[in-house]
Amino acid sequence: MQEPPLLWLDDMSVRFELGRSRGSGPVHAVTDARVRLSPGQVLALVGESGCGKSVLASALLGLLPSNAWIRGRAWLHPGTDEEVELLSSSEHVLARRVRGRRIGLVPQSAATHLTPVRTARDQLAETFRELRGRVDHGSVDELAGRVGLAPADLAHYPHELSGGMAQRVAVASALVADPSVVIADEPTTGLDRPLVDRVTDLLGELADRNRGVLLITHDLAAAKRVATHVAVMYASRVVESGPAEEVFHRPWHPYTKGLLEAMPEAGFQPVPGHPPALTELAELEREWGCVFCLRCPDTPGVAPCNGDPALVEYGSRSVAAHPPC
Amino acid sequence: MVELDSHDTTAGEHRSWRSAARVRAGTARGTGGAARARLRLGAAVSVLALLVLAALLVPTLSSAPGTVDYQAVRLSPGPEHPFGTDTSGRDLFVRSLAGLRVSLLVAVVSTAVSALLGTAVGAVSGSLGGWADRLLMRVVDAVNAVPHLLLGIVIVALYQGTVLAVVLSIGLTHWATVARVVRSEVLGLRNRPYVDAAVSSGAGRWWVLRKHLLPAIVPQAALSAVLLVPHAVFHETALSFLGLGLPPHLASIGNILSDGREGVLLGAWWIVAFPAALLVATTLSVSGIAAVWRDRVVPTRRSELAL
Amino acid sequence: MLRAREVVAGYDRGRAVLDRVDVVVPPGAVRGLAGPSGCGKSTLARVLALLQRPWSGTVELDGRPVRGARYSVPAELRTAVGIVFQQPRPAVDPRMTLRQVVSEPLRARGIRRPWRRVGELAELTGLNDELLDRMPHEVSDGQLQRACLARAVAPRPRYLICDEMTGMLDASTTAALVRVVGELVNEEGTGVLAISHDEPLLLAWAGDDVIRW
Repeated sequence: MQEPPLLWLDDMSVRFELGRSRGSGPVHAVTDARVRLSPGQVLALVGESGCGKSVLASALLGLLPSNAWIRGRAWLHPGTDEEVELLSSSEHVLARRVRGRRIGLVPQSAATHLTPVRTARDQLAETFRELRGRVDHGSVDELAGRVGLAPADLAHYPHELSGGMAQRVAVASALVADPSVVIADEPTTGLDRPLVDRVTDLLGELADRNRGVLLITHDLAAAKRVATHVAVMYASRVVESGPAEEVFHRPWHPYTKGLLEAMPEAGFQPVPGHPPALTELAELEREWGCVFCLRCPDTPGVAPCNGDPALVEYGSRSVAAHPPC
Repeated sequence: MVELDSHDTTAGEHRSWRSAARVRAGTARGTGGAARARLRLGAAVSVLALLVLAALLVPTLSSAPGTVDYQAVRLSPGPEHPFGTDTSGRDLFVRSLAGLRVSLLVAVVSTAVSALLGTAVGAVSGSLGGWADRLLMRVVDAVNAVPHLLLGIVIVALYQGTVLAVVLSIGLTHWATVARVVRSEVLGLRNRPYVDAAVSSGAGRWWVLRKHLLPAIVPQAALSAVLLVPHAVFHETALSFLGLGLPPHLASIGNILSDGREGVLLGAWWIVAFPAALLVATTLSVSGIAAVWRDRVVPTRRSELAL
Repeated sequence: MLRAREVVAGYDRGRAVLDRVDVVVPPGAVRGLAGPSGCGKSTLARVLALLQRPWSGTVELDGRPVRGARYSVPAELRTAVGIVFQQPRPAVDPRMTLRQVVSEPLRARGIRRPWRRVGELAELTGLNDELLDRMPHEVSDGQLQRACLARAVAPRPRYLICDEMTGMLDASTTAALVRVVGELVNEEGTGVLAISHDEPLLLAWAGDDVIRW
């Protein structure tokens, strides 16, 4: 049996209600997501933009817009005294007990998340005051040191920091309360490769200290570098998940295969066709079962595709519709 | 080992859909804010619709709208005359609504003049930039520096006693606000990447203004115009009250209030109270609608869906 | 060829982002430009696309220097250089359908019904009729970037600047767009400047022809 997870999503779904006048069905943003994040893991959630991976993170943190509907459950620290079911918790609970305290968030494009008129040290100190009740500059410096920032760097205003430094300040503020789970939403967008590597390595170090990291990214190279586990998302569904090495080495789902073959050093072959509109997924699944069928070489219902969109476990790995042969 | 499956004892409820907004608020019901706004909007729209309908229909349908009857001067409100009668014995209910019709018409037309002029000046100023922008903005400053009412009085004094003069006196003094709003919107838009893309693919200034800038500013411009309507109603009333506005035989709210001054001194409060109440109700409902609309135009509220 | 000669440019007075930069984009080839963020790659892209006037130095288009920038440059010269930005969403007017977006360069030059060309462009970039009728908020970043690429090449530019064109995109869409650009280079002889911080990508895209800053 696996060790108890830090975060466990059980058939979590998110829908967006569009205006009635639009004449289309609801947007299927996340469908029946089953994800398990254990201590010491970096779980990379990969997929193209608009596949629902950022919505998944927003749902966990209670940051969905008001036209969203949710179903299923997401447990934080399940089976312990501190267990919280995130999807049914009120804003009060999430703000007081979860966000920043037990789940740290590293946002996309950190520079825009920092207040332009205050130095990095001021902002970190304020986060300390808010989450820990007090602040001493020794611990600010120590935290900054852990993410590779010198005390002198903290004296700068956000616009004086490079993209990589701003991102490290964001990582530092996510770590102030020493959360057991860190969610990083596209933390490397717009950074160049050496900076991407440094930020991803930081996340890897967190996992080494027995925290759990959920890394949401479209950058497969970054995911490959640091992830211990990977979940591939396509058109609102997790289509494959498992230990990173195995999934990257021997992908089962044709979409995972397609993504890997599209990398510059591995052939640069795009997956043919387009992802379906998120408003048409229900119909697509009714008709074919699998949401990837329109771009897939296999026919649903004919081996190797069994046409079942649900994620099925096979040992340490899971895959939808395409069981291993 | 942890018994994860034990959570399934609560099966059922989590399988149903829940509104994210309601879960967040920790309530089973809606958040209330949206519902209150809807209620306010509904109230404002129905009050305004009622007033406009009454202003359009009552004076037309009533048998003798402007009849002077010296047998019935200063009658207090009663079943026959719901608003009472004025110092010349005219029925105030009919006369006030007729006045409202005139006042609203003048306000709407002069607001339209302001909006068109202001949008044109603001759009040209913002999209040309440079010296043209500086020149136009100094003109705007100059118009803003003179008190509107004073400038209005000058214009009316030159062409006294015509409806057109009143319309122009309001229209020509109020476009500056619209111009400022439109210009700042255009300044924010004209360096957007999508404008860059259009410029790079050969589009001219006029094309960019027509296809990208104007469509984007219409909601803001229209909103600032609607916010002007109550203001314009008051201006018309003030000018007429001072005896400079509409010709005295035209029943506008301002003329009625002006006529009613002596009546009030004789204890006939209703001659001023009812027309004034109509005026206030109209302006409040218009600004109520505009306030709700503004909340929708504010961009942060527009993108509900961020995938 | 498209050439930046001794270009000095920037935004705040006295703080030049580009200092006497020389870059040549040859026709019929892809030249890569790699460098860390903040080194002025995007400023160079804007200068070469005639969107920003250099403080000094010139942009030469097929041997002739171009004066000014934006509206002061004749439309024929502006359409000779296309540009695709990193972020597709702000690069598209949210009130236009993708069909209007893709056809804009043609309509702006007075072609009333450019629908045949739009069809060609859609096929080239992998869009379809149904996608063309959608609004930007109804498509993904990848699909929107396809439309941006289609728009940039609609007037058949002789040069194309791809400023981090694939920075926001997943591996599959990246590969697809790089192929489209490759087709243009081979079939229409377009000269491409591919700007990115992702060196493995540039090496696969531009071969050995990568400038490093």
